[in-house]
Amino acid sequence: MPEKTIYEEMKQKGVTRRDFLKFCGAIVGALGLTRLPTISADGAAYKGAKGFQPAQLVAQALSTKQRVPVIWLELQDCAGCSEALTRSQSPTLGNLVLSQITVEYHETLSAAAGFQVEEAKQAAMQKYAGQYVLVVEGSISPIDDGVYCTIGGRSSLDILKEAAAGAAAIIATGNCAAFGGLPKAKPNPTGAVGVWDLITDKPVINIPGCPAIPEVFTGVLAHFLVFGTLPALDSLHRPVAFYGNTVHDRCLRRPFYEAGKFAESFDDEGARQGWCLYKLGCKGPTTYNACASMKWCGGLSFPVQSGHPCLGCSEPDFWDGGGFYQGQSAPLDKPTVLAAGAALAGGAVVGVGAAALNHAQKKSHKQEPKAKE
Amino acid sequence: MNWTDVLAFARGPLFQVALLVFIAGMAYRLVRVIFLGWQVDKVPARGSKVGGAAISFLKGILIWPFVPWVKNTFKKNPVIYLAGGLFHLGLFVVLVLGTAHMLVWKSLLGFGWKTLPLPIVDWMAAVTIVAMITLFINRLINPVLKLITGPAEWANLAIVFVPMVTGYMMTHHLWFRYEALFSLHMLAVDVLLIWIPLSRISHFMFYFFSKAIHGADFGKRAVEP
Ligand code: HEM
Ligand code: SF4
Repeated sequence: MPEKTIYEEMKQKGVTRRDFLKFCGAIVGALGLTRLPTISADGAAYKGAKGFQPAQLVAQALSTKQRVPVIWLELQDCAGCSEALTRSQSPTLGNLVLSQITVEYHETLSAAAGFQVEEAKQAAMQKYAGQYVLVVEGSISPIDDGVYCTIGGRSSLDILKEAAAGAAAIIATGNCAAFGGLPKAKPNPTGAVGVWDLITDKPVINIPGCPAIPEVFTGVLAHFLVFGTLPALDSLHRPVAFYGNTVHDRCLRRPFYEAGKFAESFDDEGARQGWCLYKLGCKGPTTYNACASMKWCGGLSFPVQSGHPCLGCSEPDFWDGGGFYQGQSAPLDKPTVLAAGAALAGGAVVGVGAAALNHAQKKSHKQEPKAKE
Repeated sequence: MNWTDVLAFARGPLFQVALLVFIAGMAYRLVRVIFLGWQVDKVPARGSKVGGAAISFLKGILIWPFVPWVKNTFKKNPVIYLAGGLFHLGLFVVLVLGTAHMLVWKSLLGFGWKTLPLPIVDWMAAVTIVAMITLFINRLINPVLKLITGPAEWANLAIVFVPMVTGYMMTHHLWFRYEALFSLHMLAVDVLLIWIPLSRISHFMFYFFSKAIHGADFGKRAVEP
């Protein structure tokens, strides 16, 4: 018996046609589908350019496609991305997408544990070989034979390589899986790296953030679900639809930045007035993420709106990008007083030496009889 | 290698090295200049050295640059007077009274100060850029300047110009991504820091010393500097 399509599955679960169409509309929103995708649901170049109905396109795809199996690994992580996703405030969209992807294996979410669940994972990897989406949360520790992170006696590198081999695509969720994240912060004792540093023969999509924005994650999965392809990515493999602008580009405090009105501390008049947080260390200008436009908690707020400067959590090595509360323009490394003093003294000593040499030379010249003048 | 890495390098290790080179280089130059001009002066003093230095400072830094008719500075060369003056004013406003730059000083010195609203700093930056272009063209067409302008002079202009323009582009998000421009801005600043002690841009420090030394000499002889 062929597997059911997504629409059939949803119908069986009691979703009405009307709700289904609404869901399709929501997905269109989540995908940021304002333009025609380059590829249609069946993989061929999409032709019906006139009268483009994105919701229709999604509906069509969902009624012909089967669910996407997902295997979810947790390596050197805090489970915060999973937390954010399961507590996401848009339950209809999030849950529906999640129920339409079969999470075959998830370290934290599965009720079972131990060998039982490991076996289930192996079975799923075999059954869906070449089809499943591998989601990775957390960084990988490849050094010293992987002893710093093992699960069931196997190293994180081993586990990742095995699961990546049969994956159709890999989604690295959170800064840790994407760029190494907190474990990679100096001095990086476990040699932590992101997925794309190790896996180069499979498409890797990075959804960095600490945690990743749940709606961005569901949006990317939905894209894969609908089109069977990956969304357009930037040079850091982040989906452009969500990482195309900086937080600063879309920030509601931006007019204050332009006007040069800055909060100087967290409890001054400027802070109360909602002024720009640049001087308090905001990394918004160099941080590409959708926080300022999609916001968090169902569109309620995001850190900068709530009064905290952006930490830059969707950028590589943000833990080492200067103090969180230090202005972004401040240098990352500066000479110590000792080094500066040594440079000063060194320069001066060489200068005095050169002057003394010159002086001596002049003197010896003077003593010589003048040739002609 | 992506822009984030370039930026981290230019703001981090490279900046640190550039600053140390700058400090050592300036110390060296300063010592050399002082010893070059040093002469044992056995003439008995007829006036106060400190007084002379003070008057020289007052006149050379606070009065003459701003009163164009006293020394006919304006009439002699209006372009240099205006463009040069605006350039120095703009440089001061941008580097000392701009918020981003104040934060650099604060991180180096440990204290900060109030800054000007961005639009003012921004306009001053634009004025500075126009002034630099004017000075550049002036060097190209002025017959006397043409004679005394060599590669070092062009390099001076260019090496100050690049951080100016990249800073302005960055503030306005022109053409390139912000972190790319920030990286270029920082690389240009690092080059500038290393270049200053090697070049006559070092006058920003020597000017004050030469004013003081000449003033002291004049004061000792009770001559109006
Ligand atoms: C450590 C040294 C420096 C750092 C960290 C630094 C950093 C910055 C930053 C973060 C901005 C603000 C961009 C924005 O508002 O989005 C800026 C602007 C600017 N910088 Fe720098 N900068 C440095 C040195 C310099 C130097 C030496 C020059 C000139 C020779 C310069 C010229 C400018 C200009 C003209 C602007 C634009 C100001 C405006 O249009 O409002 N900067 N810089
Ligand atoms: S608070 Fe941050 S992101 Fe918002 S305008 Fe200020 S610097 Fe930019």
